[in-house]
Amino acid sequence: MIDFSQLDRVIHEKGRLSIMTLLAARSPWSFQDLKSELDMSDGNLISHLRTLAKEGYVREDKTTALDSERPRTTYEITSAGRSAFKGYIKVLEAIVKHSKPQ
Amino acid sequence: MPTTPSLQATALDHLRVIRTLMERSNIYRAVSAPAALIGGLLSLGVAIYGISQNILSKRFSNHVFFYAWLGVLVITSIINLFLLMRESGSKGQPTITDGLRMALRAIVPPMLTGGVLGGSMIWFGYDIALGAIVWVLCYGMALQATVSFAPRSIILLARAFLITGQVLAIIFFVQIHQGLSKWKEDEALITLGLTFGLYHIVYAIAIFCTKRVNSDLSAENDAKPE
Repeated sequence: MIDFSQLDRVIHEKGRLSIMTLLAARSPWSFQDLKSELDMSDGNLISHLRTLAKEGYVREDKTTALDSERPRTTYEITSAGRSAFKGYIKVLEAIVKHSKPQ
Repeated sequence: MPTTPSLQATALDHLRVIRTLMERSNIYRAVSAPAALIGGLLSLGVAIYGISQNILSKRFSNHVFFYAWLGVLVITSIINLFLLMRESGSKGQPTITDGLRMALRAIVPPMLTGGVLGGSMIWFGYDIALGAIVWVLCYGMALQATVSFAPRSIILLARAFLITGQVLAIIFFVQIHQGLSKWKEDEALITLGLTFGLYHIVYAIAIFCTKRVNSDLSAENDAKPE
């Protein structure tokens, strides 16, 4: 039987799922790159990133770009975030398998 | 909690989102803009020099023609590889990234095929113009092979090479079929100058312009979460 309580509600929201997917594929991502890839508004993206950071899934890093000395914010997935993401995919796969006719 | 149809549909939908984003996030630019600019200028230079020599009746031999374009390819490839590796280094990635490996696996077979086939046509004096068309087509196919992980600009560049090569191939064979004069060095030089020269210069300028716009936007947006 599938334990549906394992379905991580933080990641289950589509916007946050998209962010987690990109960060799991490769890290770090700058705020601007995430925004253009996901086509999200600034407010929406910031809000999702804060939720993920609060949960300990995403780490924010503020640096200064070497070439222009501009402030630059990048995001990367934490090890807790990666294992939560893997677990989430496993539950999704279990749901799909469970629904297939035997 | 039972697996309701809506939960299954959501699970499938979310898995689709994950797969699509994973694929899209691995975009890799196999031709760097500065290398394209240098290669484009070199190609245009060789084409113009070759045509001017032909006007002065100092024709390029097929071997000189072959070496000149091989030189352009080698110089540009080394610069391109160096720039791509430097870019990965600046991002804190390993020198040989997965993207570079993926790009080489896609690009090398069509490039080698074109090199051997077109190169043989030119080196053995079979047909210089047809050899040039084969180079254009195979380079277009090499770029097209990166389509699943390439940015839109590379895809457009690949299409430009493929469409030009195909149109030129039709014109070339129609000329022969109708018994008109066969294309020679000048036509081969114009073909290579137009494609490897002009197309690469246009591509590089387009990338530089896009980067400038993105950089300005980035300056505005990167400060927002502060």
